[in-house]
Parts: sequence; structure tokens; C-alpha cells
Amino acid sequence: MNKQLFRNILIPILAILACIITAGGSYAADETGNPKPLRVALTGKYPPFSFYDQSGKLAGFDVDVSKEIARRLKRPVKIITTEWDGILAGLLADKYDAIIGSMAVTPERKQAVSFSAPYYQSGAQLFIHRDNPSKVYSIKECNGKKVAAVLGETYQHFLENNFPGIEVVTLKSSVEIFELLQNKRITGFVTDKLVGAWQIKSAGRPFVTVGPMLYAEDIAIPVKKQNTKLLAQINEALAEMHQDGTMGKIHDRYFGLSSSDSSGIKSEMTTGIIAIKLLKGFLTTIAIALASLILGFIFAVPCGLILNTSSGGWKVLYWPIRTIVDFIRGTPVLIQLLFAWMGLGLSPYIAAIGTLGINSMAYMAEVIRSGLMSVDRGQTRSGQALGLSRYQTFRYVVWPQAFRVAIPPLMNSVVALTKDTALVAVISVAEVIREAQAIISVNFEPTKYYFIVAAMFFIVTFPLMKLAGRLEKKIRAKGFVQ
Amino acid sequence: MIEVKNLSYRYPGSKIPALRDICIQVPQEHFFAILGQSGSGKTTLLNCIARFLKPKSGSITINGKNITKMERKEFRSQLGVVFQKLNLFPHLTVTQNLTLAPLKALEKSEEETKKEADEMLNRLSIGELANRYPSQISGGQAQRVAIARALMLQPKYMLLDEPTSALDAQTTEEFAGWLKELQEDTCFIIVTHDLPFASMAASHGIIMEDGVVKSSGSIQQIIEETSGGTE
Repeated sequence: MNKQLFRNILIPILAILACIITAGGSYAADETGNPKPLRVALTGKYPPFSFYDQSGKLAGFDVDVSKEIARRLKRPVKIITTEWDGILAGLLADKYDAIIGSMAVTPERKQAVSFSAPYYQSGAQLFIHRDNPSKVYSIKECNGKKVAAVLGETYQHFLENNFPGIEVVTLKSSVEIFELLQNKRITGFVTDKLVGAWQIKSAGRPFVTVGPMLYAEDIAIPVKKQNTKLLAQINEALAEMHQDGTMGKIHDRYFGLSSSDSSGIKSEMTTGIIAIKLLKGFLTTIAIALASLILGFIFAVPCGLILNTSSGGWKVLYWPIRTIVDFIRGTPVLIQLLFAWMGLGLSPYIAAIGTLGINSMAYMAEVIRSGLMSVDRGQTRSGQALGLSRYQTFRYVVWPQAFRVAIPPLMNSVVALTKDTALVAVISVAEVIREAQAIISVNFEPTKYYFIVAAMFFIVTFPLMKLAGRLEKKIRAKGFVQ
Repeated sequence: MIEVKNLSYRYPGSKIPALRDICIQVPQEHFFAILGQSGSGKTTLLNCIARFLKPKSGSITINGKNITKMERKEFRSQLGVVFQKLNLFPHLTVTQNLTLAPLKALEKSEEETKKEADEMLNRLSIGELANRYPSQISGGQAQRVAIARALMLQPKYMLLDEPTSALDAQTTEEFAGWLKELQEDTCFIIVTHDLPFASMAASHGIIMEDGVVKSSGSIQQIIEETSGGTE
């Protein structure tokens, strides 16, 4: 291979690979000397059990219980916020040591993980709009009507198993469910009695309970089955907390009857905190998008080249690359993200950048391949007839033409990838949409904050789209494409 | 002198050879025409001489040296090619089209190359095109730019494939006269089916049919032979 090609392309690739490998290494390593932190997972979007308080810090019943348990275990606590529907899979993949996120004990879950003794009892309750437009007075009257539950929660399974006539609507977080009911787009929802009551009390939502509690369930802390030592320690800490009244104090802090009990905790965030959270989230989004794009582009150029060759020494690489590109383009990004995070055990940020990077590589490689294809073969021949070497012909004749043709579709890939970063919330990366959901869970203005997030994306993507349009016009004017 | 000896070529997968036992001699002072109908093998012969195809048997030499033994730069300084489709580089201006190969392949200085390009364009009376892009010039102008680009490497021989295919009758005549003026330094070998153009421009030539040389000699002689044969 030409020396210049080596310098311009291979060295940066190796440098980036080295960064990824060392970054992965430092993530996995534990600091020696200090006790390992207790890694606890929860959603951060389930007030009053977990949410962000007015100073933008994680707060809530589950958060306080986590801190107290860690204190008693004499270990620092590290709280990881992640989506509910992937939270158990993350535990099994060793992404954290325990889930202290109000998880109900069920026989199915017990098969996969070990539960501690219950730390509180939860009651499933049906909530409806206080205007009651559907005129329902019990769960039995909800047949044929829409009742919502969070995807993967026990309430969903309870409704599906016991009331097959009800149309169960599943959403990713409670916040969206509250919004649906407030706008009377569903008849009601089933959630923990305390969670619903908090919405009425603290957000002034127009909800009322209907009928008695549907059932009670034990809420406990799951750990991996092999982790018997930790389970014993947690059980011991919980028993102490119940005995010395700590658990009761934490409970009163959030569910006490007098408002003075909860004076220390206000859930509504200030505008400054909201702005910082959204901005931080957005910077994370942009950083992930940028890193993925650079990584993707560096690999896309050689891959696009190989996909465009039918002969020569590079031909052996054609089928491997073709297969990877087709597989990546033919499978959902969400599955790839989960696979990289859990299957390969990468840290969330590395998994996000790696997955989105390989995705942009796949799409850009195709764009570059079609750009190269659009260059007439006569151009190569002419370059050779003028005494240019193969590399010179590529560098000065073929590539400039192919790249100019590829710029508009490449820009589209950039826009698409920037939007795809929204998916990385699933693997517990605190990007802007996740931050917005956390804000909405305590500020109760989804339309406003989703609009702000959309506007943030648009501010970045709009100039890119404009630029793509302008470049396309310029290319047409110069006669590259008919 | 370019000498082709007993050259045969068969395309991969084809049973019929495209060229059979071709023998020609082109001294540098000739203006040579390779004539024939489409499918007669004349473009295959051009591609063999230009090293785009590798013949299995026979040899091609330039001044006694086998072309397969020549270095890339040496070969290209002997032989230039202008294709039927011209293949100007659309992303470069006319001047940049001319300077690319001297700058990159011959590693000449930018100043010197730029000066040579200006001189070349003026010599070929197309100086006003210097800063235009290929999409902004006419077919006849593009033809001249393509020849100018090939001449920048100062080849001893230059192959032109169907140079008149995009020109009308009047432009063809002008073009033939224009080429003859350039003949002093470069030996042109034109591949064409255009007999009137060949008779205007060339001094000698061959007529090909079904992959073999049917007749060779001075241009008048072979054209008369052909007309005699068909009448």
C-alpha cells in the first residue's frame, strides 16, 4: 500500500482503536485501596421513589434507601439511572450490583435473580380522571377501554392476565402515562398507590382513585443469584433499618401526612437547574454524535472503497465487509446498542459511540461506494494514460469527484445519526431526552420540554440540511451530476 | 518507430480472437491512421498499444524497446492517449486538467507547469478557456483541451480514438488542419472510421477487418484500394 495512504488513513484508525481499548480498560478497572462502590440502578423517573430534586440531584425514597444501605455496608454508593424495560438485563450483565428501584417480587423474576427481604409493600391502584368521562366506578367496568401501565412493570402483567377485556396501553415511563390521562386520552392507569397519590398531591393532577387496592405486592432488592454475600449484607442492613426506625424516617420524609415532613425535599427544579441539565444532556448527545461520526467516517472510506472494487488484493475483504454493512443496516440500532452494552460488556458511552459509529460507518460506506460508482471508469483510464499512479489517480481524479457527489447524502447520514443518539438512553447514557424525561417527571410540562429538546436538535440539524442543499446545488452547477 | 509484430488478442471468455497476427510499422514522421468499421478490432489494437490490454502473443516495441518492459513514467513520456469520450476531469479547470499530470506524475514545479500550460493553451488557440470547467466548453473545444492535456507530457507518439465523432463536417476539416500543424513534434496515430477525415489528416495507415490488417500503405493508396474493392 502507498505510504501516504497509510499515513492519512491507517494511523488515525489505529489511534482511535487504541483510545477505545484504553478507555474500556480504565472503565473496567477498580481503584485499589478504597472499597468498591455499591452500584445501584433505578430509573430516576419514578417520583417520589426516584427523581431529580430542585437542585438537579437525584432524590427519592429509593435513593435514600440506597444511600443508607451503602452506608451500613461501609461502601460508597454509585447510582446508575437506566430505563425500566432493560433494568433486569443490566443487572444480569453485571452493569450494577443491585436494583433499588421499587421492584416487585414475582415468581418469574425470582427465577432469574435473588430478592432481598421486602423493604416496603406496594399496592396496585387504578387511577382515573376526576371528571370520569368514561363513567367507570371499578376496574371491571374498564372492559374494552384503555388502561395504561409502564412497559415491563407487574401492573402490565396483572392487567393482561386478569382483565383480558381491557385494552392495556404500555408506555416507557409513568410521566407519559400521567400526561395521557390528564388529556383524557385513556380511561385510567394502574400504578403504585403512593406514586399516583404523589402526582395528585404534588403536581395537582386531576386524578382520583377508583375502587379498592387491586393487590398488594412485596417490593424488594434483586441481586444476581451468585451474589449471595451481598444479598446477606443487604438483608442485614434492611433488618437493622426496620428495627432502629431509619426506614420509617425515610418513609415519612416522602409519604408523611404533614407537609412539614417533606419540607426538606421539593421536587420542582429551578429554571437554572433545568437549563444546566438540558444543556449537559445535549452536550452529551452532540459529543456522542460527533465521536460516532468521526469514527464512522474514518472506517467508511476504506470500506466504501473495498465495496466498490471487484478485483485486486482487497477483494478478500469484500464479503466480510459486505456482510457487516448489510447486517448493521438490516437490524435495529436499539438491539445493537443493547448487545454492545450487555452482550459485549462495554461501558455505556463506549457502547453508544461504538454502535452509532459502526452504524454511521455502514450507511456512509454505502454512500461512498455509490459516489465512487458514479465516477466514469474512463476517468481512471485517463488518469493512467497521463502517467498518474493508481494512488494518484484515486486521490486527485476519482476521489474528489466521488466525494462531492457523496456530500449531500453524507449530510443526511449525519442528520439521521444525530437523531439516533436519542436511543442511547436505553443503555443508561444521560443524553438530552433522558434528561428531559427526568425533568418532566417532576415538573409536569412534557409539551414544553419535549419542544425545547426538539428545538435543540433542530438548531444543529437545520444548518446541516441547509448546507447539504447548498452543496448539492453547487455540485450540479459544476456538472458533476446530470 | 512503433513496431507491432505478430500481435494476437482474444478477450477472456470469447472464442473468436479480436486481433490476429497484426504487423505494422509506424515511423515517427508518419501521420498514421488505423481505419476500419466498428468491430474490426481497431480499438482493441489501440488498447494493446496503450497497455490497457495485455496481449498473449506478439510484441509491441517503441524505438526497439518492448513496451511491457518500460517503466510507467518512461512509457507515458513516449505515448499519449486521447479517448473517444475525452474524459476531461470535470472537477478541475482547463488549466488544472493540463497541469495535474506534470505536477503529480512528473513532479515538476508549480510555476513551471503553469507557464507551460498557458503556452500550450495559447499555442493551440484556446487560451481563453483557461479558467473554465469542462462543463462550460463546447465539444470541439473539449477535443482540443484533451489533446493539449496529453501534449503536456511531450509524448513522441499520440493515439487518438475516434477524434471526430463529436465534430460536424466543417469543424472536422479545421481540426484536421490544426492537427497537421502539431505534427512536427508528435506522431499522431488516429483510430477512426471517418475516411474523409483520415484522407485529410493522415499520410499513411492500415485498414482493418475482422481482426486482421486488410491493407496498408500510403493513405491515398489504401483508400483507393478500398473504393476499388467495393465498386
